[in-house]
Amino acid sequence: MSTTTANGAVRSQTGGRNLANLALRLRVTGVLVFLILLCIFFSLTTSTFFQAQNARIIAFNAAILVIAACAEAIVVLTRNLDLSIGATMGLAGYVTADFAARNPGIGPELVILALVLGALLGLVNGLLVSYGKLPSIIATLGTMSVYRGITYIYARGQQVTATQLPPWMLKGVDAMVFGIPSLVLVAVFTVALVAFFLHYAPLGRTIYAVGSNPAAGHFYGLRTDRIVLFAYVFCGTLAGLAGFLYAARVGTVTVILASGWEMTALAAVVIGGVSILGGSGNIVGVAIGALVLATIDNGLVLMGMPEFWRMFIQGTAIVLAVTVDSLIEGRIQAIFKGKRRLGQQQ
Amino acid sequence: MKQRFSFSFQWEQMLFVLILLAAAWSAQLSPYYLSFEQILNSTRQFIILGVMAMGLMVIVILGEIDISQASTLAVCTVVLSKFSAAGLPIWLALPVIILIGSALGSFNGILITGLRLPALAVTLGTMGAYRGLAFIIGSEVGYTGFDDTYMWLGSSYIAGTAVPTSLILFLLVAFAFYILVHRSVYGRMCFVIGNNADVARYSGIRVPLIKIAAFALAGAMAAVGAWIFVGQYGSARGDNANGMVLPLVTAVVLGGVDINGGRGKVLGVVLALLLVGTLGNGMGLANMPGPTQTIVLGMLLIVSVLLPNLVRQRSSFRIWSSFRTRGGRVPVK
Repeated sequence: MSTTTANGAVRSQTGGRNLANLALRLRVTGVLVFLILLCIFFSLTTSTFFQAQNARIIAFNAAILVIAACAEAIVVLTRNLDLSIGATMGLAGYVTADFAARNPGIGPELVILALVLGALLGLVNGLLVSYGKLPSIIATLGTMSVYRGITYIYARGQQVTATQLPPWMLKGVDAMVFGIPSLVLVAVFTVALVAFFLHYAPLGRTIYAVGSNPAAGHFYGLRTDRIVLFAYVFCGTLAGLAGFLYAARVGTVTVILASGWEMTALAAVVIGGVSILGGSGNIVGVAIGALVLATIDNGLVLMGMPEFWRMFIQGTAIVLAVTVDSLIEGRIQAIFKGKRRLGQQQ
Repeated sequence: MKQRFSFSFQWEQMLFVLILLAAAWSAQLSPYYLSFEQILNSTRQFIILGVMAMGLMVIVILGEIDISQASTLAVCTVVLSKFSAAGLPIWLALPVIILIGSALGSFNGILITGLRLPALAVTLGTMGAYRGLAFIIGSEVGYTGFDDTYMWLGSSYIAGTAVPTSLILFLLVAFAFYILVHRSVYGRMCFVIGNNADVARYSGIRVPLIKIAAFALAGAMAAVGAWIFVGQYGSARGDNANGMVLPLVTAVVLGGVDINGGRGKVLGVVLALLLVGTLGNGMGLANMPGPTQTIVLGMLLIVSVLLPNLVRQRSSFRIWSSFRTRGGRVPVK
């Protein structure tokens, strides 16, 4: 009996489903516990951390990263990478902001431009990876510099200032709905959408299948090329959204918008328990992973630590997360091996 | 067999032609290009990159990747600045930073082999961690008061000529790596592991040990890069060599090293470095803006892998399939 379990790993034993479910819960619980420990640590060391206002700030800061990390996770689940996500955000964000500056009367339909641009850039990545057969790390490392370069050339040394942006854009990001920042609502909606898509939609399930074992997926009859292409387009679209929101949030949009975000997004994905080898992981975990990074940022600032400690701690957190992940995985495999041997003896 | 031998040179030949084309283009772009001294001096732009790419190449041949190398370089430059400030002689400082570089590298290797972690995830983490470490050691203020003995390698020229001293070092390093990769048992084992790690394991090769050694070597090369860096730029700061990942991977992949491991040649990587250097030099002389140069580099990376792939899909001519294999392959038969 072969079941694709909630974390996407295909187990071939009856007990496998429960075990894998347990592992999934362990994994998400692990990130959650880490987040709670972080919160306790910062609450004890600083007096300003444990406040509703600060929680709101963290959620606000994490919101865009959550969206970017969701985008990255979709691609990582297919056993690929997107290193161009920061450049995609930058290009989509800049062009959209520039378009808004040139057409002052434009309304919220502007978002569509960002989404379409993101989707197009994702399509290029996807075509290179799925039909050009490029290793994803090379393809997206290349497009990372190409997209960023295009942003520079498009901008011609200019930048878009907050006064040029339509007021609804700036107000919309800072708006509160029932005391919750609107950005957080958008992020929660995105997580819900992506989680629903990945865990319940048939196409979403095939993403896990392709990521777990591309060859098996191919022989099962899945159009692996198209699925990977779709994952990249989805990722690009979400990156376009994230770029738009980020542009609206910072107000002054420059060509270096969101540079370096590919690493932060990938960090959130890895900390959130998505296997970098594809096929296993959970979007809620990714969202918590992004929250962990935002909490570390926030706490260190409150503690008055220099900014560069952040890099060190973030990096260490990534290494710790993959280590814990592999230990859990190893334990599960050991259990399976034991069972199989038992079966053979009987 | 004879045919295969001649085919295995195709990729290097193509690189050579591309270099000539790039040089011709550069000469077209700028009247200042065609000068022997100018060209020699321009090699300084890719020497640091080249020394590090040699280390990275072995890791890629093994089927792994290391994106933390540039951060290791930053740690080493900052440590060098501390040593220089403390008045430590260079002959004492040098072994220490090479040791530090290899220690940081082997830490990657130990995590990757000991816990069987994916190299990309581990080095992504250590990339941030080492970069942070460099800032923690050196604080945010750059150090520029390097002792002349520290600067010697990166800033001096061979007496009476326009040959940078570091170029000689690079050639020595490249030759050493040629021996290591193509003429030693270690190199042969690397190719075996890169082609099939299981086979390597079953034939008694100590895979973890070899991998850790490769990562340590790459770290040591980053330390050597730091030594040259200090001389060339005369400064040390936590963000040194930030963004060097793209050119590093580009050089290695453009050089014909298979990113999935198992194939690659030192000559190819050296030629790829020359190509990247020539393009950068020509475009720089022609005052081409930085972003355009970045686009060219990115496109070069994509096209260099995409073209052989597409051609392979289109036709099954044997002459084309050689582009795909790109040299250094271990004969299957």
